Amino acid sequence: MSWIDSHLLSIVVFLPLLGALVAALLPRSEGSQHKGIALFTTLTTFALSLMLWTGFKPGSGWQFEQKADWAPSLGFSYHVGLDGVALLLFMLTTFLGPIVILSAWRFTKEREKEFFLALLVLQTAMMGTLAALDLVLFYVFWEAMLIPMYLLIGIWGSEKRIYAAVKFFLFTFVGSVLMLLAIFYVWSQSGVGAARTFDVPTLLAQANFTPQVQFWLFLAFALAFAIKVPVWPLHTWLPDAHTEAPAAGSVILAGVMLKLGTFGFIRYAMPLFPQAAHAAAPFIAALGVVGIIYGSLMCMAQTDLKRLIAYSSVAHLGFVMLGLAALTPEATSGAVLQMVNHGISTGALFLTIGYLYERTHTRELSAYGGLAKIAPRFAIFFLVITLSSIGLPGTNGFVGEFLILIGTFTANLGVSVLGGISNATLLSALAATGVILGAVYMLTMYQRVFLGPVVHEKNRGIADLNAREIASLLPLLAAIVILGVYPMPLLDAVKAPVDEVIQRVTAPAQAPRGHETHPQFQRHPSDGSPRLGAPDAQQPRVMPRVLVPNRAPQAEQPAQQ
Amino acid sequence: MLEVNWLHLIPLLPLCGAAICGLVGNKLPKSWLYAVALGSVFTAFMIGLSAFGLVSSETGASALHERVFEWFTAGKLHVDLGLTIDRVSGTLVLVITGVGFLIHLYSVSYMDEDAAYWRYFAYLNLFVAAMLLLVLGDNLVAMFVGWEGVGLCSYLLIGFWFEDDAKASAGRKAFIVNRIGDFGFLLGIFVIFSQLGSVSFADIHGATFAAVPAALAALFLFIGATGKSAQLPLYIWLPDAMAGPTPVSALIHAATMVTAGVYMIARLSHLYMQAPGVLAVVAIIGALTAAWAALIATSQSDIKKVLAYSTVSQLGYMFIGVGVGSFVAGTQHLLTHAFFKACLFLGSGAVIHGLHGEQDMRKMGGLKKYMPHTRWTFLIATAAITGTIPLSGFFSKDEILGKALQTSIFNSLRMWPGGPFMTQLGLVIYLLGSATALLTAIYMWRCYYLTFEGDYRGGPDVHPHESHWFMTLPLWILALLSVVGLVLGLPEPIGEKLHLDWASWEHFSLGVFANPPISNNHESIPEWLTYGIALLIGVVGWRLAVYWFGSGSEERSNKLVAAFPRVHSAFEHKLYVDEFYNAVIVRPLWTGARVLWRVVDVWIIDGLFINGTAQSVAFIGSIARRFQNGDVQRYAAMTALGLAFLVYVFLR
Repeated sequence: MSWIDSHLLSIVVFLPLLGALVAALLPRSEGSQHKGIALFTTLTTFALSLMLWTGFKPGSGWQFEQKADWAPSLGFSYHVGLDGVALLLFMLTTFLGPIVILSAWRFTKEREKEFFLALLVLQTAMMGTLAALDLVLFYVFWEAMLIPMYLLIGIWGSEKRIYAAVKFFLFTFVGSVLMLLAIFYVWSQSGVGAARTFDVPTLLAQANFTPQVQFWLFLAFALAFAIKVPVWPLHTWLPDAHTEAPAAGSVILAGVMLKLGTFGFIRYAMPLFPQAAHAAAPFIAALGVVGIIYGSLMCMAQTDLKRLIAYSSVAHLGFVMLGLAALTPEATSGAVLQMVNHGISTGALFLTIGYLYERTHTRELSAYGGLAKIAPRFAIFFLVITLSSIGLPGTNGFVGEFLILIGTFTANLGVSVLGGISNATLLSALAATGVILGAVYMLTMYQRVFLGPVVHEKNRGIADLNAREIASLLPLLAAIVILGVYPMPLLDAVKAPVDEVIQRVTAPAQAPRGHETHPQFQRHPSDGSPRLGAPDAQQPRVMPRVLVPNRAPQAEQPAQQ
Repeated sequence: MLEVNWLHLIPLLPLCGAAICGLVGNKLPKSWLYAVALGSVFTAFMIGLSAFGLVSSETGASALHERVFEWFTAGKLHVDLGLTIDRVSGTLVLVITGVGFLIHLYSVSYMDEDAAYWRYFAYLNLFVAAMLLLVLGDNLVAMFVGWEGVGLCSYLLIGFWFEDDAKASAGRKAFIVNRIGDFGFLLGIFVIFSQLGSVSFADIHGATFAAVPAALAALFLFIGATGKSAQLPLYIWLPDAMAGPTPVSALIHAATMVTAGVYMIARLSHLYMQAPGVLAVVAIIGALTAAWAALIATSQSDIKKVLAYSTVSQLGYMFIGVGVGSFVAGTQHLLTHAFFKACLFLGSGAVIHGLHGEQDMRKMGGLKKYMPHTRWTFLIATAAITGTIPLSGFFSKDEILGKALQTSIFNSLRMWPGGPFMTQLGLVIYLLGSATALLTAIYMWRCYYLTFEGDYRGGPDVHPHESHWFMTLPLWILALLSVVGLVLGLPEPIGEKLHLDWASWEHFSLGVFANPPISNNHESIPEWLTYGIALLIGVVGWRLAVYWFGSGSEERSNKLVAAFPRVHSAFEHKLYVDEFYNAVIVRPLWTGARVLWRVVDVWIIDGLFINGTAQSVAFIGSIARRFQNGDVQRYAAMTALGLAFLVYVFLR
């Protein structure tokens, strides 16, 4: 293995940061050297990440792993690697990188250099969060994302940008702090003295806390991630952040950052604290469904384009949360697929709306109307993206949503009080109403902006999409169609990690171990784990638990009717 | 089942046509564009014909199948994009591509002056592709792709003239109402998957379901059918859909897409036979819709609205057919209806075209002088739909009503737990269907007389004219087909005598559908009697129409209307169903959403919890700030006071 091969992941992660350093050293100028560097770096990053995609072998554990000592006495190291789930989101990040840079080409004259620096730093932070296999490293990247995004909203945002930026920062930070405490606790329990570790694969292998401890740790992790997603009712920072953020910021926020919350669930919160996750699954699923319906209704109430799309993210990520919590291979793979789909579709929506905003400087729906006549290319691009957002078969949105719903329908989330109907069936049916509501608000929005007569004469001067804008949208459109028609490579990539998480979470409880220093935590598994309200009628899908340090391919889930 | 590797060409060709027309259509010369659009559909027709030839020969395979590619797999769910042709789907392929081609041809002339003709043909080709996928899909999910695909094309084509906000709204309404149905379709798929672990028709075909899941799946899927096929209570989008160009109404909203619900139920006949209770629901909804829409159709003055409600009503007949367990009769009417209703719509299109956009029948009349081809073909199609012997509509409609009378499928059902059996349900449906047949004859002859007979009532500046042969040729072919379609339903003895029994639909489609039970109710009623009654109804309806509208005007009928002004006004206003839905569902939903946003999001979550927390922190801070104002003397005073307090506490 050559040096490049063994360091490929790190190279890709830090390339944008390197680009930022180079650009930072260049003097401020009128030319386009900074954005040129940004575009070049992100393009190279994407090109290199394609090597990750082609080199990835579905189902064979952590890949592109690299580990170097950092502070061995404290148990943290530089450890990166990808599994299928992380890889998809990683590719999504590198894919959106150059698109975002290109879209912001003429965005601002004010502190232009810093704007692109922020985007580049953000790129590295997001990729690092996905690639990290050490909790300290993960936390560093996780927090590092906050700063550039805070600046993007606070400096280059619109009128209420300060309020939105502070709100964004405080919300996310509150969750993160609790997660940090939980991380320290996990570390403190991971061994004695120098054997304590932050190493994720090691922790996953030995994770075995008592149910009570799991409950609190899961809560701390889940809160941090739920705010990021955002799960209802922790979502109110999102509409403000999106509305005030510059288009490029919105694209990254919707495209990647929200998914880091759902990624956190499937990578950390669920496998590290499986019993708590299992017990909480019906609640998370229910919150997901509330998010879908509530988010959709919020969309119907909005008159501000960006706010509307922001709320649609609440609805779409409700689907993702539902799929994660359903814990069936269909639903959970669908959830991961939907993370990617949402990144592409909603990213594209924010991009297009950003272009519209650049021309009219208003986000009010009533300021538009009849634009299809004036700017037909705009209308066609926007239509395809709209259709993808409402999950029309043939576009990417369908497969994910369908898998989530059908997987939830057959899931095991206990029996509801309502005359013995299974919770899962009920939740799936309720969630499916989101399919109707999605069409209601998206098509109404489309009609108000693009169809009907031209209401405002000054809109007649709106220019259609130019070549640069089309160049930035075409890859997204291609992805919408390709992933809609042929999603199999993605599903293949996520199969192994998804199966393993499901198996971990749904496996029966084991005798806790590794708590020699805290004998009071030792309890026999038979003395009943508090299941957070999970009904007793529920039979966990039995699977002998195999603890594997590295993710080996797992046996198929047994059939469950 | 014969595996082949060329079936995908049938939907792929129109899809490519759509891509070419849509992407570069405005840069191509017009004739090239037409060549692409028409050529792709025609080639698909030819390929469909050869496939049809293979499955319809007595010695060949009963079905062709192609697994195009693996679409997605997760857990137990495995979805292929697979296509299959048997005699029924093969026939429908021919109808879709054949009638589709005729309508493309017609559109060349009809849409010639529209600047966005290229967009129109792209949508039309896309529709044909989606419809073919719907019909050919070998599993429920593949069918669902076509199902939503045709819905999309319907949306695009209804709102084709999108600068008119009402038309754009009509398209949106169609899509959303269809989505409500699709919600049911999805749940139906989920139930079947949860029972079988599969979604393919082949697996459903041979499966035995428990009673409750079978009923649930059948009911949910039927909700999907009520959306797509415009049945109560979801029919409301179809009349509005007339906002689209008329050839679109002919192809999508008469001949093909709207019949998809009937096709889906027929395709799942083995599932539906396991849910007789749901079949009763299907038949009842069908009968009610047929009568309901026919009532409204009698009082519409827009020629396309009459035809739209007529379509809803005729679709109701088809659902009666499948609902009483005669999937043969239901699909047979689907085929004959495709011919005569497409002919009627295209005829109305020729009239509208010839009158420069006039759709109000009160401003027509006497057009037989100006447009003889249109008139004759419209007359033939009207005769067919009203059940005039021996045209195709007579046999297919009578087949449905006869089967409704005879069916014993509801005999084991109780009206309520412990209640009486529904043995007479078939009879009730028969009577309702026959009454509807009378209404059908009245409103269709009314439509014909008001349009073509009497004197021209339009303005002097409009000069009615006959259309180009691109438009009249499809009319004649469809008129011919609505006559020739009679071979599908000839009574057995006559068919044998004429050596046409091979073409009988019942014989031809043998083995595709589930068989209804053999024992029948009312077997003592001979076939000639039901034929006689049907014939009589047709004649009475026609005579009534001649009496009221024979002069080509509404003078006589207006006296009747004047006697019941309220009733007439209610029918004219479509029985206020749209208003009802708006008041009960649409407006409360939108208002509720706004209230929810203001109260829960803005006021409770953001106001109370988020900013409330922030403000209370700020408030505590503002108090605490007083203790840190930089005044050293006050610090000293405070320290002294504190010290004094401590001294007091400890020395007390």
